[in-house]
Amino acid sequence: MKKNQVKSQFVAVASIAAELSDVMNVAKEISLAAANAKAIAFRAGEKAKGFQPITDFINELAKDTINLVNSINLQAVKLYQLTVNEHKMTAASNQFSKVTSLTENAAYASSMNISQEQAEQRKMECRREFQSHVDQLLEQLASVMHPARAARVIAANSRIEASQAGEYLQSLQAVAESVDNAALVIHSNVQRCRTALSIINFSD
Amino acid sequence: MKMTKIYEGSYQWLMFGRDDNKPEKIIDTNQYVVRTGSRCLVIDPGGVELFAPMLAAVLHHAPVEEITDLFASHQDPDIISSLGLWDQALPNAKLHASGLWEGFIRHFGCETIEYVPIQDNGGVINLERVELQVIPAHYMHASANFNIYDPNAKILMSGDIGAALEEPGAPVFVDNFDEHVEKMRFFHQRWMPSNQAKRFWIDRVRDLDIDILAPQHGRMFKGDDVKRFLDWFDALQVGIAV
Repeated sequence: MKKNQVKSQFVAVASIAAELSDVMNVAKEISLAAANAKAIAFRAGEKAKGFQPITDFINELAKDTINLVNSINLQAVKLYQLTVNEHKMTAASNQFSKVTSLTENAAYASSMNISQEQAEQRKMECRREFQSHVDQLLEQLASVMHPARAARVIAANSRIEASQAGEYLQSLQAVAESVDNAALVIHSNVQRCRTALSIINFSD
Repeated sequence: MKMTKIYEGSYQWLMFGRDDNKPEKIIDTNQYVVRTGSRCLVIDPGGVELFAPMLAAVLHHAPVEEITDLFASHQDPDIISSLGLWDQALPNAKLHASGLWEGFIRHFGCETIEYVPIQDNGGVINLERVELQVIPAHYMHASANFNIYDPNAKILMSGDIGAALEEPGAPVFVDNFDEHVEKMRFFHQRWMPSNQAKRFWIDRVRDLDIDILAPQHGRMFKGDDVKRFLDWFDALQVGIAV
């Protein structure tokens, strides 16, 4: 692995962790919006009857997103550990090659052969494991897109229901807006994670 | 990497240093190896930049599987930042280092090497029939710091005590003590923090029978220059930055 590749891999993995942290915050905001919407819908009574089941959906979506992001976060931490391991193994392998080139006439030069082969194997194993985790992470990120898309549909339905809620129209529309914005933020953050991961894959 | 044999008996003491390919801005270091029949102790194996030339130099004297012991006098990077690479290279090795520094030194990477913590009062390292004494030298300069003394070879590996900042390619032994003093003065005044710790160390070391005092930087002291160094150091005020 070249020096710039290592750097970009570390940066990409760190940026994924940062994006996921943002997604988590937004998902928590959705959860809060759902609780808020439920309270408003309760107060509005008959006027917001259509809105009440929507608040449960919003809450479910927030929960799903939080669970998914928690699971993805664990994968991202693992990915970071694998990046560190791969970096260490690559450094060891390079240094062992250097030792070999410096020990042509040394009495015990060949005693390094096993360590060198093992370092090379460990480096390859790390690379394979890293790639497999990148693939898994990409799949998991794709699955976060589903609740984000569903949230946008729910936001659209919420606006329709809000329009029939009389004096509660503004409050419920605000809920719909906040869900819609949150879904857009999640979508774009997840998209950036996927792009960062793709860059790592392309750099191999 | 230049090698100098400093003791030859039923086992050997080897000094490695003066690496021509050392990057310009890192400090030059001396590494010491005690080689017995089937074991090998590397004392203060050095920084990460030095790993390849150092291991390559040792492979002239021992195969990797017989490099069984490493010793770190303290936690500084020029002493032991190569640990993560030794950890990958040596199939069965122990690292003897201060218990106090363990959590810090492990940052350099220590997964397969066994960390053998040295207690504050020192101890011994046995290499087959050779018994090396681990002498406390705390606050000289690190807060947990050790020297290695070999009573049979009469060698004291003194870590940073006796160190000097030299030009590349300097001789390995002090040949004119008076001229050498200026290369040591600031190093000791600034890096050694405590006159009390210095006194404690000198009192202890004066009781040892020493032919060679071998620091981690600069030149070694031989014969009468050992006593000259102890007298000079005794009179020096250290901890000058406060």
